[in-house]
Amino acid sequence: MIFLRKRIMAIALASMILPGTVFAQQHISWWDFFVGGDGVRMKALTSQFNDEHADINIDATSLEWGVPFYTKVRTSVAIGQGPDIMSWHLSRLPLGLEEGVLSPITDHDLEVAGLSRSDFFPHAIEAASGPDGQLYAVPFDIHALVLYYNKRYLQGTDYLDASGRLTGIDSLEDFESAMAAAARNGSRVPLSYGTSEDAPVFRIFFTLLKQMGGILISPDGEILPGDSTAKATRAIEIMTHWFDEGWQPEQTSYEASVALFTSGEAAFMLNGVWEVPTVKDLAASGKLGFDWGVVQVPMLLDQPASWADSHAFAIPANARNPMSPQKREAVMTAIGWMERHSLEWAGAGHIPAYKPVAESSEFQQMEPNATYSALVDTAMYDPRSPIAGVASPVYDAAVNILAPAINGYLSPEQAIAQFKSELQSRQR
Amino acid sequence: MTMIHNRRRHYLVAASLVAPFMVILALVFLYPAIRMVALSFTNGPLIGAGDWVGLDNYRRLLSDNLFYTSLKNNGYFIVLTVLPTTLLALAIALMINRLSGRLQATMLALFFLPYILPVSVVTQIWSWMLDFQFGIVQPLLAFITGKPIPVFRNPHWVMPMVALVTIWWTNGFNVLLFIAGLRNIPVDLFEAASLDGASRRQKFCRITWPLLWPVTALVLTLQLILQLKIFDQVYLMSQGGPFNSSYVLLLMVYREAFQLNNGGYASAVALVLFVLIMVVSVLQFQLLRLGGGKR
Repeated sequence: MIFLRKRIMAIALASMILPGTVFAQQHISWWDFFVGGDGVRMKALTSQFNDEHADINIDATSLEWGVPFYTKVRTSVAIGQGPDIMSWHLSRLPLGLEEGVLSPITDHDLEVAGLSRSDFFPHAIEAASGPDGQLYAVPFDIHALVLYYNKRYLQGTDYLDASGRLTGIDSLEDFESAMAAAARNGSRVPLSYGTSEDAPVFRIFFTLLKQMGGILISPDGEILPGDSTAKATRAIEIMTHWFDEGWQPEQTSYEASVALFTSGEAAFMLNGVWEVPTVKDLAASGKLGFDWGVVQVPMLLDQPASWADSHAFAIPANARNPMSPQKREAVMTAIGWMERHSLEWAGAGHIPAYKPVAESSEFQQMEPNATYSALVDTAMYDPRSPIAGVASPVYDAAVNILAPAINGYLSPEQAIAQFKSELQSRQR
Repeated sequence: MTMIHNRRRHYLVAASLVAPFMVILALVFLYPAIRMVALSFTNGPLIGAGDWVGLDNYRRLLSDNLFYTSLKNNGYFIVLTVLPTTLLALAIALMINRLSGRLQATMLALFFLPYILPVSVVTQIWSWMLDFQFGIVQPLLAFITGKPIPVFRNPHWVMPMVALVTIWWTNGFNVLLFIAGLRNIPVDLFEAASLDGASRRQKFCRITWPLLWPVTALVLTLQLILQLKIFDQVYLMSQGGPFNSSYVLLLMVYREAFQLNNGGYASAVALVLFVLIMVVSVLQFQLLRLGGGKR
């Protein structure tokens, strides 16, 4: 009995002396949706962070992207069981705000992280802020639609300059004649993209709409207000024309559209920057079999614009289970560290949202990212609406109506009319 | 006196045996179901309480075009699956029943195999086989119709193809039910009929079909309930498109609740579907019983 009491005393004493060294370690539970190339890089970053920080331990879980991810975080946060930090698409910020899932990022938080608002590209900060100007997420990257090209099919045309870079595409006519030239040079599919899928079709539609200065959803919730309906119709006409000419593949899945490019059948591919590592790795291992390049989407219509979104870090508003100030500091420390190490993340094709890295000489020399990084100035985020953004009704309408239309099932006018009424009915 | 006492004891024993089940049922089914009914009269989000709006959700439902589209697609899907799968299962069961021993077991296992696959695997297999660019069924489609068809992206093909996949997937269970029913028919009846010189056709019409009717009615009713609840296949293969031509009621519930955060409205749709399934299946079962009774 005395022996037992002594042991208890010893343990109690030890726990009073040791906390500074052992028990103060902050465990951060971290949820993200990064898989594939993104997932590998994020895992490397978190484990490097853990190695460098004895007092903080990130316990990361990768979940399925899309509606399942956003449903899970929203429901778990509502009952106070959310993570301490999570990844978030800035295009889906309105949904998080509507439900009060996101904890505001204060200036003090940024200070702890060693960051300030002016460190980030204005478009990204704007997309990460609520209507009240309050910051609700810390942007990590900017990823956008870009144009990949296969030099083999452009050899001997006017569209490659002396050093083998894409040139001379300053209008829709130029782009279409480049596709025609590529077809004559033997490209079976001059322009590849996932013509049967929601996101690829939407991103191109939205880019074309924005290059005409169109508005998808006005701040007061009107779908394609005023002449934007005509502009949207024009965008679908353009995409349907590419189909009619046989330039874009019929009813193609995302994976098949990438395969069409990497197997050397396509002269161009319109896709996100995240496929850069795929092509880069194939080229590095000598399996690609052609020279390639990637540029920001050229100005095909009235003004430059590219569809874009950002991955960001957000802190859930776990109202039922509030975070201790110490943990919040640890979370912000992790966010700050990630931003300063976002050069590694750029290896997945992204452009860092954190300007000190994006403007560093290391990133300026990083190819092909540096070639298209100027697109951040004309990056166009999805409209600020709970029905827009990734995995949203807008994307559903894209696969439901726009994708079949550009494959010849519906006229552009009818498609846009249906698209409008469908989205109108989703708003309440 | 003792009898009453005994009966009371019987009740107690019975109640204590049923109680664990009833408690769990009340906890995980009845309570959430009642809450869902209550939610359908509010404008609540997915999580948390909402304000009472009375019958607004139901009024809105009646003016929602997507609801009618979904209802129509559910009906179309029932037509495409319930009767065909029942007839097919009966035909397969009759054929398997004529085999014997190991061969019979093998054939039964082959037809039952798809049923044990999870829906994600089933849809993956078929999406791959029917892929527009490199699916192995496309040359066959091209041979019949003259050109390859993106079946899950074509408004006319999508529902029949989802139905085909569903039948392929679930038919094995119906075959099993029919086999069980066939084995329940006493062999003496067939022997007696043979002695009386009945033809094979007569034996089927006068013995097999009437005696199998309860099983047939069961299969039809189970199928009706199951196919009204169609969701997984549509969600995984066509996402409700193109042009909402495969949009079904449960997909509507899912999107309203989990994507649009309209818990109240989603509950209203779910409740309407629940009532629909109940009414239709009770009605059908009664009709089938009457039909069977006449024979």
